[in-house]
Amino acid sequence: MTTAIVSDAIESPAAAAQQTRRRVVYWLIAPGVLWMLIFLVLPMAMMIYVSFWTQTTFKIEPILTTRSWVAFFTSETYLDALWTTIRIWLIVLGATLLVGYPTALFIGLFVRNKTLQTALLVVCVIPFWTSFLIRVLAWRPMLGTEGAVNILLMKAGLISQPIEALLYTDLSVIIGMTQIYCVFMVGPIAFMLSRIDPTIIEAARDLGAGFWRIFRTIILPLSMPGVVVGAIFVSVMVLGEFATSAALSGRKVNLLGNIIVTQVGSLRWSFAAVVGVVLTIIMGAAVSILLRVVDLRREL
Amino acid sequence: MSAGVLQITGLTKRYGGAVALDDVSLDIPRDCYVSLLGPSGSGKTVLLRVIAGFEEPDAGTIEFAGRPIVAAPVYNRGIGFVFQNFALFPHLSVEENVAFGLKNRAGATLGKSEIRDRVRAMIELVGLAGLEARGVHQISGGQRQRVALARTLVTEPPLVLLDEPLGALDANLRTRIRAELRMIRERLGVTFLHVTGSESEALAIGDRVIVLDRGRVVQFDDPDTLFERPASARVARFLNCYNLFGGAVAGASFQSDAGEFPLPRGPCPPRGFYGVRYDRIAVAPRAEKSGADQVSLTAAFVASEFTGPSLLSFFKLASGQIVEVETPLGDRAPPQYELGEAYALSWRRDGARVFA
Repeated sequence: MTTAIVSDAIESPAAAAQQTRRRVVYWLIAPGVLWMLIFLVLPMAMMIYVSFWTQTTFKIEPILTTRSWVAFFTSETYLDALWTTIRIWLIVLGATLLVGYPTALFIGLFVRNKTLQTALLVVCVIPFWTSFLIRVLAWRPMLGTEGAVNILLMKAGLISQPIEALLYTDLSVIIGMTQIYCVFMVGPIAFMLSRIDPTIIEAARDLGAGFWRIFRTIILPLSMPGVVVGAIFVSVMVLGEFATSAALSGRKVNLLGNIIVTQVGSLRWSFAAVVGVVLTIIMGAAVSILLRVVDLRREL
Repeated sequence: MSAGVLQITGLTKRYGGAVALDDVSLDIPRDCYVSLLGPSGSGKTVLLRVIAGFEEPDAGTIEFAGRPIVAAPVYNRGIGFVFQNFALFPHLSVEENVAFGLKNRAGATLGKSEIRDRVRAMIELVGLAGLEARGVHQISGGQRQRVALARTLVTEPPLVLLDEPLGALDANLRTRIRAELRMIRERLGVTFLHVTGSESEALAIGDRVIVLDRGRVVQFDDPDTLFERPASARVARFLNCYNLFGGAVAGASFQSDAGEFPLPRGPCPPRGFYGVRYDRIAVAPRAEKSGADQVSLTAAFVASEFTGPSLLSFFKLASGQIVEVETPLGDRAPPQYELGEAYALSWRRDGARVFA
């Protein structure tokens, strides 16, 4: 106590300046920290807490029990939903990468005009000018038995019977999600690619490398941070999805998100909390695995 | 000198309406350091990029080591290119950067150990031993320049194009790397074609100097010939060592705004510029009489710059034109001129030249 007072008294101007700077930093981060505490950390802690409450049909009591957890891990329905969520997530992640990377490659690397680049990226987000629900529901008249895709294929003589598997299946959910989330993959990758100095590609060509060699040794590694950021965006959004699967699967595809909606709807809070915690853990794991792939701090 | 390594004939390149290269023909000798000098916008970088294959010419042919290459893709040409900004691969280490060509060129057949040996030897040659594992952002500008050079040289191209390779370095380092470039080239016996906008760099580094102006080759000479006898007033102006007076020949003298100068002996164009080099002019107090065969002018002292081995002084003529005088100092102290005072500037009649 005494030493603190003494050192305060003989504080040098440099130390005083440092103190001021530190105070400014605290003020700057205070709102963000406060916000995160109240709206992120606190609810999450609450969610974990509630997942251990005792749930009866009509009410929920703060008596700690693992019953909801046991119920989740012993029910085939819920484990199925867990597996479906992971499967759909990985497929959509792969599909957005497959569709998004070439698009990003074109926009970020082959289009060198900055204005045109921006224009093309804007074109990519045009679907977002309508509401989420319309974007999802628009797939019904596209994919249905008498939908646009089937009519076109039949008119072209490629099929004689409409393909029924297009709508109300895993496939329709995957198509819908890929379309909606693809742009979140394209954006970060195109950004990283557009930062590649064109002369290093010229240098690689001059050293004798053909296009595929250059792609594998230069372009792909330099775009990896974009792939990782895009994959994090897509993962977080797909893992939390419930609307697309509800609208396009005819309730046949149940994701963890759908289960949370149902459980909350029937006021089974503690069970919904269990699913929420499981989902959060999966997301956390997905993000940390993706961050392992590339050291973003070094690359950005 | 043996047959040239690169023959260019009638090379023309336009961007929209602007002509970047206008009927350029050149024969670049084997085992030679050629510098390519030109003001900015003269087309020197375009010429290099067309030779390397990054740009396609609108007309003309290029023959490299006896075969036409205009239609060949860049990666098949086997011509080295060193970029002004070095263009190192940012995600690779020094060693990986140098090894890139040997590992990835089309039809690469070298074994791993052979590649490593060659890469190590090249890194040694350019003086980067010990930095193999460093990232290219963890080394200095001069070291990056050496990586860029090593990366190109290790693939053993008979011709290396260097696009203002010293432009990104500070002046001190520039002269040092300049000497190193010459040494390395001599050691490997390849041809360097070095683009630069600096006349002193071009003269210092090249065995031969090409001067490019507005897309045309205006002179291709030894550095001393170029310095001694520039092909035109524009070249002289660009060399930045000639005072030029515009005018026309009248009888036995050259008439200009600055006065009347007796013509140097030998053939002269009827009009153009009378030029006298900075270092050919002597400064004397006004009263002193100039000797026979001397040309003399009176001018007022304006300012001077001390450069170390010499003094660069500026004098103003009655016409308003500034005349520059370079006085080599040797052991002498720099002369002191009075500001605004008139002095007699004189030079030997045959020391001047008349340019078309």
